[in-house]
Amino acid sequence: MNHIDVDHVSKRFGARVAINRLSLQVERSERLVLFGPSGCGKTTVLRLLAGLEAPDDGEIRIDGRVVARVGRNLVPPEKRDVGMVFQDLALWPHMTVRQNLMFGLNARGVSKREADVRVQELLERVGLKHRIDAKPHQLSGGEQQRVALARALVTRPSILLMDEPLSSLDDERKRAIVSDLLGFQSQFGFTLIYVTHDRSEADMLAARVCHLRDAQPVGQIFSSTDSVTEFDNFTYGDK
Amino acid sequence: MGRPVKAETVVLWSCVAVIAISGLAPIAAIAVESFQHNGHFSLDYYRELISAGRFWSLLGNSVRLALAITAVCGLIGVPAGILFAKSDLPLRFGFMWLLTVPLVLPPYFVALGWARVVGGIPQAREWLFGFGGCVLVLSSVFLPITMLLAFASVSNVDRRLEEAARVVSGWPGVLRRVTLPLSAAGIAFSLVLVFLLAMGELSVPSFLRYPVLPTLSFTQFTASYNFGAATAAAVPLAAIAFAGVVVESRFLRDRDYRFRSIGQALFISLRHWKNPLAIFVVTLCFVLVILPFGALFADAFSLAAIRDAMQRGGASVVRSVMYSAVGATILMVLGFLLGEVMLLRPRKRRTLNLLTLALFAIPGTVLSIGLVRLWNTPATWFIYATPALLILGYTAQYCAVTTRLSLAGLMIIPVSLNEAGRLSGATWARRLFRISIPLSIRTLVCAWLAAYILCLRDVPIALMTAPPGADPLSARILTLMANGTPPMIASLCLMMAVASLVPLGILALAIPSRRPAT
Repeated sequence: MNHIDVDHVSKRFGARVAINRLSLQVERSERLVLFGPSGCGKTTVLRLLAGLEAPDDGEIRIDGRVVARVGRNLVPPEKRDVGMVFQDLALWPHMTVRQNLMFGLNARGVSKREADVRVQELLERVGLKHRIDAKPHQLSGGEQQRVALARALVTRPSILLMDEPLSSLDDERKRAIVSDLLGFQSQFGFTLIYVTHDRSEADMLAARVCHLRDAQPVGQIFSSTDSVTEFDNFTYGDK
Repeated sequence: MGRPVKAETVVLWSCVAVIAISGLAPIAAIAVESFQHNGHFSLDYYRELISAGRFWSLLGNSVRLALAITAVCGLIGVPAGILFAKSDLPLRFGFMWLLTVPLVLPPYFVALGWARVVGGIPQAREWLFGFGGCVLVLSSVFLPITMLLAFASVSNVDRRLEEAARVVSGWPGVLRRVTLPLSAAGIAFSLVLVFLLAMGELSVPSFLRYPVLPTLSFTQFTASYNFGAATAAAVPLAAIAFAGVVVESRFLRDRDYRFRSIGQALFISLRHWKNPLAIFVVTLCFVLVILPFGALFADAFSLAAIRDAMQRGGASVVRSVMYSAVGATILMVLGFLLGEVMLLRPRKRRTLNLLTLALFAIPGTVLSIGLVRLWNTPATWFIYATPALLILGYTAQYCAVTTRLSLAGLMIIPVSLNEAGRLSGATWARRLFRISIPLSIRTLVCAWLAAYILCLRDVPIALMTAPPGADPLSARILTLMANGTPPMIASLCLMMAVASLVPLGILALAIPSRRPAT
C-alpha cells in the first residue's frame, strides 16, 4: 500500500487554478521532490497534504485512509502525523528555541520528561543545544533553518513536508542541512516531500522528482541527468 | 556656511509646534496655575483637594467604574473581535459594524436610549441611574475599541505562524499559545485605552447621576470658574492618563512583533458551535445597540419633532459638520506628516508616540480647561472667541489616532519604493507627494473619517471651548435636554447619527475595495 495517494486532486483560488487533477503516489520512506517554477502549484500540493487547504476535487489518502475529499478535510492537520518546514520557517517569534520545539510535544500530550529528552537530543543532533534558550531573532539564518527542521521532526511525524526551506542559503550550508536531513530520514524513516525550484537541491537529495508546470505535472525525473520523459505513477487531466 | 536644513526637519518641528500649541502648552499652563495662589507658589489647592473626603470618594468611584467597564469590554469585546476575525460565523462583518455604532455617536446617546427603555419601570430606572447603568452604557460605548483592536491584532498575525502550529495542535492550542501571545500587545493596549477613556468620561456619569472625578473638575471650572481648583482636581486624571500611556509605551511596545502577513486569515470552522454563537451575537447586538437606539429614535420621525429640532438645533448641525470636517482635515494632514517623519526617524518615534497618546488619554475636560486658560487673553481673543479654540482642542486630543493610522499605512509600503525614488534623485518632499501620498490614499481617507467621527461625537471639548452661540450639536443636545421635549431631542440625536453615519457609508462605497490576495 502506498503511504500517500493523491487522486485527481484539483485546487482553485478564485479564477486561478493552482492544481489541476493531479494524481500521485508516494511510498513509505520515499523521498519525492516537487520541482518547478514559481506559481506552478508546488506549495499548494504540500498545503493540501498537510490539511491546510481542502481540495476542490479529488481525494487524498494517507495509509489508505481518506483524509480529504471534494471540498472537505476529513482529518484535521494535527491528526495527519505530518511535520512541515515552511518556506519562511514560521518560527514563533515570542517563543524560545526550546518552546518552539516543545509546543508540538505538549499539544500531543508527551510527558514533560520525555519531551525534554527529545528536545535535547534533537538540538544536539543539529548542533544547537547551546542556543536552546535563544529566541528566533537571536539566531543566524542557518541556525533558524535547523531549528525549523528540528521543530518539524520533534513530534516524529511519518511524513515530512518541506517548502523551499533552503532557498535563502548558500550551497555549503544547503549541503550541511541536506546531509542532516538524510541522516534523520534514515533514523526515523519518514516519507519526505520536498518542494523546490532549484535543480541543485533536488540533486543533493537524490530523490524521485515530480516536475510541475502550470498547475500540472509534466513528467518525472529519476536523476538530474534524465530528461523529462515519462509518466509513471502520477497523471494529470483525464489520463 | 552651516548645513542646509532638511525639509523633513522643518516638517517635524512644525508638527511638534502644532502639538505644543494645541495640547502641551495648555496642559503646562494649568499645571503651573494649580501651584499658584494670589500670585505666589502654593500647594493650597492640592491640600484642599486631598483633605476633602469628596475627592477620595470620587476618585474611588472613577477607578471602580473604569475597572468594571474595562473588565466587561475585555470579557466580551476581545472574544468578539477574535470570533469576527478568525471564524466562519455568518454575517460576522455586519455584526461587527453594528456593534461599532455606539462608539461613533456621543456616549450619552446610549444613556438617553436606556432612559427611554426603562422609563416606566421604577426599579430598573433606579438601577440605570447609578453605577450599574454607567457600566452598561459605557461598556456598550467602549466595547468596539477592544473588539476592533482585538480584531486588527489577531488578523495581523502571520497566517504561516498559525499554520505551523495548526499542523501539530488543534485550534484551542493555536489560539492560546500562538495567536493570543502574538496579538497580546494590541489587546492589552485596547484595555489600557478603555480604562483611560472610562476614567475621563464626563457626559454619561453626569446624565446618570453617578459622581466621578471629571465632574468635580468640570464643576469647579463652570460653576466657580476657579482654574486652580479645577486644575488640581484634574491633575490626578492627567497623572493616571500619563501613567497608562507610559505603561503602554514601556511594556507593551516591546512585545509588538512585526509580521509579514500574506493577507488572508486562517479561519476556525465553528461547526456545531456556529448557531449558538450566532444567537449569542444577535442577542448582544440587540441589547447593546438595537434596543437603546430603537428606543431613542422611536419618536424622532414625527414632522413636528423634526421641525422643532431644526428650529432649535439646525444651525448646530451645520456647525458640527463644518467644525468636524475642518478638524478632520487638519488632523489628517498632521497625522500623515507625523507618520512620515516617524518612519524616517525611528528614534523620534517613541517620544512622538508618547506625546500624542498622552494627549489622547488626557480627559477632554482637562485639556479644555487648559485651552481656555492659555488663550483667554486680550491678545489671543481672535482664537479664544472663535471656533479656532475648538479646532485646537480636537487637534491635540485626536492627533494620536490619525498619526497611528498613518504610520500603520505607511509601514505597509515597501521601503524599496522610497529608496528607488531616493536613488533617482527625488527630494523628500517630491517622494512624499509622488510616492507616499498616492500610495496612501486609502490610509488618508480612513484617517480623515476616523478624525471626523471623533470630532463629531466629542462632548467635553465641544461643551467647554465652543464660543457662545456657536456650539456644535453634541453640546447643543446636552443643553437642550434640560428644557426640550423628548421627541425634539430624539430628532436632534437622529440628525447627529445621520451626520456621522452617512459620510461613512458614502465613503465606504466610494473607496475601491481591497483586491483579494492571490
